[in-house]
Amino acid sequence: MPEKQSWDWGGWLEGIAVPILAVITALLVGAVVIWSVGGNPLVAYKGMLDGAFLKKRAFTETLVATTPYIFLGLAVAFGFKCGLFNIGAEGQFYMGELAAVWVAYNFQAWPAYIHLPAAMLAGIIAGAFWSAIAGYLRGAFGAHEVITTIMLNYVAIYLADFLVGMKGPMRDPRASVPQTRPIANSAILPRLNELPAIMQHPAVRIGWAVVFAISVYFLLKWWFAKRVTSTARKQAYSLIVALLVGVAIFIGLAHLTAIGGPFTDPADRLHLGFFLALLTAVFVWWLLNKTTIGFEVRTVGANPDAAEYAGISIIRNFVVAMGISGALSGLAGAVEVLGLQRMLKSFFAAGYGFDSIAVALLAKNDPFGIIASGFLFGAMRNGADLMELRSGVSKYIIGIVQALVLLFVAAPVIIRWLYRIKGRRGEKIVVTRGWGK
Amino acid sequence: MPFSLEAKGITKSFPGVLANDHVDFQLEKGEIHALLGENGAGKTTLMNVLYGLYRPDEGQVFVNGTPVRLNSPNDAIKLGIGMVHQHFMLVPVMTVAENMMLGTESVKQATKWWGPLSILDRRQVEKETRHLSEQYGLDVDPTIPVHMLSVGVQQRVEILKALYRKADILILDEPTAVLTPQEAEELFVIMRSLRDQGVSIIFITHKLKEVFAVADRITVMRSGKVVGHTTPAEATESILASMMVGREVLLTVEKGPAHPTETVLDVQDLQVKDDRGLLAVHNATFQVRQGEVLGIAGVQGNGQTELVEALTGLRRAESGRVLMDGQDITNNSPRQVLETGVSHIPEDRRKRGLVLSYSIADNMVLCTYYKPPFARGIVMYHEAIDAQARRLAKEFDVRAPNIYTQAGTLSGGNQQKVIVARELSRPYNLLIAAQPTRGLDVGSIEFIHKRIIEQRDAGHAVLLVSAELDEILSLSDRVAVMYKGEIIGIVPIEEATRENIGLLMAGVTTKKEVTHA
Repeated sequence: MPEKQSWDWGGWLEGIAVPILAVITALLVGAVVIWSVGGNPLVAYKGMLDGAFLKKRAFTETLVATTPYIFLGLAVAFGFKCGLFNIGAEGQFYMGELAAVWVAYNFQAWPAYIHLPAAMLAGIIAGAFWSAIAGYLRGAFGAHEVITTIMLNYVAIYLADFLVGMKGPMRDPRASVPQTRPIANSAILPRLNELPAIMQHPAVRIGWAVVFAISVYFLLKWWFAKRVTSTARKQAYSLIVALLVGVAIFIGLAHLTAIGGPFTDPADRLHLGFFLALLTAVFVWWLLNKTTIGFEVRTVGANPDAAEYAGISIIRNFVVAMGISGALSGLAGAVEVLGLQRMLKSFFAAGYGFDSIAVALLAKNDPFGIIASGFLFGAMRNGADLMELRSGVSKYIIGIVQALVLLFVAAPVIIRWLYRIKGRRGEKIVVTRGWGK
Repeated sequence: MPFSLEAKGITKSFPGVLANDHVDFQLEKGEIHALLGENGAGKTTLMNVLYGLYRPDEGQVFVNGTPVRLNSPNDAIKLGIGMVHQHFMLVPVMTVAENMMLGTESVKQATKWWGPLSILDRRQVEKETRHLSEQYGLDVDPTIPVHMLSVGVQQRVEILKALYRKADILILDEPTAVLTPQEAEELFVIMRSLRDQGVSIIFITHKLKEVFAVADRITVMRSGKVVGHTTPAEATESILASMMVGREVLLTVEKGPAHPTETVLDVQDLQVKDDRGLLAVHNATFQVRQGEVLGIAGVQGNGQTELVEALTGLRRAESGRVLMDGQDITNNSPRQVLETGVSHIPEDRRKRGLVLSYSIADNMVLCTYYKPPFARGIVMYHEAIDAQARRLAKEFDVRAPNIYTQAGTLSGGNQQKVIVARELSRPYNLLIAAQPTRGLDVGSIEFIHKRIIEQRDAGHAVLLVSAELDEILSLSDRVAVMYKGEIIGIVPIEEATRENIGLLMAGVTTKKEVTHA
């Protein structure tokens, strides 16, 4: 037996071939649809490309739209890994927004280092609570999560509309439209263009420098532990490099304006939430693949009978997986409110939660794949307006393209047949198990 | 006279495996031809070629002397080839007759011009089915929904389906794997009757006794090649076994007398219900001691599954007690039971024993993944897991490209070795082995039997549950027989014979043998 597992390039390429070809095929079929309603597909797609990437601020706007897709895609994928179909990401997202905004506009006196984490935590808890209801109902009574999460979506959406609506208790009485009060400055998740001002305080820079130095130190230690034998030396290396990084961060953060772009453009909306989303993807990957929590969740998802045999509690893992899934959705809501909206408007239906099912499926529930598929969906969402403007084709055509992507990914046989890709022996992607059981 | 079915020089390779290497095979008209080989020898691949499911890389198939191209099962069916798979292809809610019609729906002549709206002619199909059933002695009522039939009868429905499509060549893929010994006997009677009426049968198996019971000629395959042709008259079990495995095989396990000491498992008046809520285990009382093998014999479906599930925490016991080393573990969670030192080789390896989409390595730690050195806190240590898997794969002779291979792609024998390796590698006092060699080849059976006796000799208590009487008789020190949920007798091995245990399995008791009150 070979000692090390060699990286399977062929398998990896085949793995991503189907999603990529699915997207291309969906765009081609979409072109036919655009042409059939009297539009020019080339103009339309050029408009979308400009709107998503090339126009001023388009790229960072795409990243803004990508952010909730990554969080929610991760949320849906986490449920899938346990064999659960969480259609409730939308509702959990709303609950996260509501809880985060409530904490964020109350408690004006709190310092930022407490207020911001508290508001995010509120979003996480609200989302987790909302989904854990469905997880518990599934585990304890066998009520199917597809049904319960759909129902809980309605409850969340109407609850939000009531709370923020015309006569709702969370409505800002001074505003003419139904919306909450703006959140306190201490609870904002900064945009990049707000960072230079914040970083003028040396205390903030020291804080960040320490955080980075510690992370680098432990990363290096872990890296050396795998490769270098001499222990005294690796300790010294790690410490020196970590200190240097800390100092560099401390100095660098004072000069963010020098980078320009999103850091100086007052109209740019890119916020730290995007980077948090990337970190969260890494965290979810780690949680799923490197911890006992992930092992249990995946085992229950892959074979509940074997899980039971191995002493893994199915009920507990349904609740845990649903809870973590909801926590990610809630965090998505919190980040959206604290980083982008800075308040909550009534009838803010975003539809992110439903699109995210497609995001997760396109990525085959792989956390890093979700960054890519979330980016694709963010780009399409962001480019749709300019596409409509330029070509006169309704932007909802994008919805058709997205639906086609989902269709081709869900039925990979079509793509395999179309492009003559041979299936690998033993390959079987089980997204979710039967609906009845 | 040309052969009914002939394959010449069939070669079929899959990535990394040469499944068939220039295989020649001839089926004469009106014979039962056993195709014998271990799991992974290429029997199923060859049959899938003959049934049009695979296209061979090289070679030619002939039907009645004419070369044919088989691109799909439809081509095979048109040429009169029928196949009965291990897993039945029946619609459970439909009646037997309706299942017959699937794919070849016959309609009332008068309504034929109605196209898709024409009325199905159930009556006619039922008549034809009944006729076929009588002709070949299959004894199937065409009006009964399939899900109400026993597994043995469902298999006969599959055979009927092939006959209904005018098959005169039948391929039976491991047909006895799902049957009780009695049902297997009935199947053999049917096979003989089919043969006598001109049907040619390919009988795929790895069970030697069955070959002698029913086959006219035998072809043996090993690692993708045909290693020999013979007949039951010329061969003996040990000759066939060494042809299959490629070396001398011990068909019986050598074991010395048992030296039992303290009681490990003590079961008292256990009552367990099955999934339908009916009592499946009645007042089961028995003990297993250190250093002995207690075999539980019985025809499948007499409560053995429920008994083992109740012992391992997978099913609730209604009443009674289960003591492990004196500690009451009745209705504890599966994890708690495992922690008291119970190792469990489950009867259904694909359903319970393995996560088929996981690697060998992950399956090796399925029950211990949360313990050091495999995990500390919530963090898992894959280096430790891989090292353990490499060690066990070597020790237990698991044949796979590497430890990252998906368990689902392994042969049945290797899958079972992964489970046995896992269960024997963690500290335990009691080994519960349920149908440990079901569906395995001779080589793997020999290997697993040796391991079980080793465990006994090392002072562990072993509870063996098996529907194979030979297995029970060769491994056990005491034999308990289950019949309709009751342990109707416990016989020491010295007094156990095929005859008296067989009678108990059929529910016939005499005063002397019943030691259970």
